[in-house]
Amino acid sequence: MLTDLETAMNSLIEVYHKYSLVKGNYHAIYRDDLKKLLETECPKFMTKKDVGTWFKELDINEDGALNFQEFLSLVIKVGLAAHEDIHKE
Amino acid sequence: MADQLSQLESSIETIINIFHQYSIRLQPPDTLNKKEFKQLVKKELPNFLKKETKDDKAINEIMEDLDTDVDKELNFHEFSVLVGKLTEASHEEMHKTAPPGVGHRHGPGFGAGGSGHGHSHDNHGHSHGNHGHSH
Repeated sequence: MLTDLETAMNSLIEVYHKYSLVKGNYHAIYRDDLKKLLETECPKFMTKKDVGTWFKELDINEDGALNFQEFLSLVIKVGLAAHEDIHKE
Repeated sequence: MADQLSQLESSIETIINIFHQYSIRLQPPDTLNKKEFKQLVKKELPNFLKKETKDDKAINEIMEDLDTDVDKELNFHEFSVLVGKLTEASHEEMHKTAPPGVGHRHGPGFGAGGSGHGHSHDNHGHSHGNHGHSH
């Protein structure tokens, strides 16, 4: 039996695949996939930067797609911002 | 947070809540000290850090590794690095345990044998073993 924390981490894997399996390589989120991801999963963070800026920032190896690791760095950024928000609320 | 949370947001919220559940136990309230981190690992990560949960020395080593500002406490930022590493490891494990076949497939990953909710939609071929899914 997985704990809530472990289930939450596996759920991040599910979120990634919702967008990475749309087309092309199974582990690639392309720019328009990222747009959909940001709009659907974290609309609040969309407002701060546009998709192009996000994509450039996250695509560390500059191969035009986000791999799972690059996605996780987005998750951490969103997580840190969410943590700050919780303390502000 | 009036409106409904997305899957990403609710996963993140769970992670933050569990961090706080342990961080508030001892001062300071927003960081994990050695004792709190040990409690969290043992209670909340029994499948993802299976070997380490039985080994206090290993838990201390993980903590030291994560404590990049060397203040003997883990803040949420340092903790989120562990979350990233473990999520990546879990994803790799799903691929290691994936059933053979074409397309993208996931196996059960860590803690296999728990509640399975395997469902599969053939054609696009993304499948998890007994608690995953395939498209």
